This record gives sequence, structure tokens and C-alpha cells, in this order.
Amino acid sequence: MSLQMGLKDISFREKTAWAMVIVLIAGGFFYFDKVVSLSRATGETAPPIIGFVIAYVILIVIASVIVMTVLSVAAGKEADQPADEREKIISDKAGNWSSYVLTVPALGALWHYSVSMDGNMLFHLIFLSLMLSQIFEYVFQIFLYRRGV
Amino acid sequence: MAKAPPITNRIRELRESHGAMSQAALAEAIGVTRQTVIAIELGKYSPSLESAFRIARVFDLGIEDVFGWQPPPLS
Repeated sequence: MSLQMGLKDISFREKTAWAMVIVLIAGGFFYFDKVVSLSRATGETAPPIIGFVIAYVILIVIASVIVMTVLSVAAGKEADQPADEREKIISDKAGNWSSYVLTVPALGALWHYSVSMDGNMLFHLIFLSLMLSQIFEYVFQIFLYRRGV
Repeated sequence: MAKAPPITNRIRELRESHGAMSQAALAEAIGVTRQTVIAIELGKYSPSLESAFRIARVFDLGIEDVFGWQPPPLS
């Protein structure tokens, strides 16, 4: 099967999921690269810096808009169609599964805080949990699109 | 790999016998994406009852002429 044929058989929403995984992972690296660098420089866990968080959010929003615009133009009419029954099931299941990805690291972060009393680390771990949950929601969508529902 | 659902179908065969109807045309007729039609044909997705009826009506057949059910073997 050619690449072109393969891409043609991927729905607009699956392509969106692939793109968002890449965008969110890149955004996560951007944010945590800064946090880790600052932590190394100061020798302790970097405090929550609202500027990093705002920069992360802006980066994600801008990248998402660009990606969605490009994919929508490429998809044409398909991008205007509402999600069909299979896509709704996939979205619901992926959202449900990703809630566990949010819960488990968040509980780990709370346990870590109870032991270390490091509030800065608690902030970063909770933020990481949110990022992972969002990334895995799209990963689970891709999995269900590929495997079947 | 997900366990294949016990629902079987003759959609591909019926499309071909109806003037080689494309997956896109069937998808448009029943209100789903082409990829969902592909998933149904491959047994990766069992359609809702409403979609199953819509598909059967497209081919002017009863629902059991299009879909079958293979119950899992009794243990």
C-alpha cells in the first residue's frame, strides 16, 4: 500500500489525533526543558513560573490552530462533517481511559508531597499529569481507530 | 488485536453487486464516514442498529440478509 493510499484511508479525526500528540509532546518538552534547566541551575526544584505556563499554553494554542487549519484545508468537506457514531464511541472511550492517566500520576504526586513536602515538585507533577492525560487521550483515540472498537 | 465481534456482514459483496457502489457512496447514504464503512466491512466495528437498518435499506434487503450473528461457542 502506498503512503498516499494509506493516508487517504485515515480519517480527518485520526489525523488530528496524530497531529495533536506531536504538538502536545513538543509542548511538554518545551515546558519541562525549561523547568529542568532552571532546577539544575539553582540546585533545587524550580518554583512554578507562570511565564513558562503561559508560554506553554500559547505555544499549544498556536500550534493547534496551525495544525487544524492545515488538516481542515487538506480534508476539505470531510472536516465539516460532525463525528459519526464510531468516532463518538472512540472519543468517549479514549476520554474515559485518559482519566486514569490523570488520576494515577496525580495520586503519586500527592504521595510524593506527603513524604517530601516539596510544593514546587507537587505543582510540576500535577501539571505533568494533566499533560500526560491530554497526550494519552489522543494516543488512545489512535489506538482505537487502528485496532477497532 | 481486538476480539472480532460475533457480527458478520456481506457489505463488500453487496456493494460490488450493486454497480460496484463505492465505500464513500455507501457512507454518504447512511451518514457515516468512509473509514467507518471500512471498519464495518473489516469487522472492526459493529454498527448501531439504526445504521444496520440504513445499510440494509440501501441494498433493499432485510437486516438479516446483510448481517449475521455467530454466537460464541458454548463452553
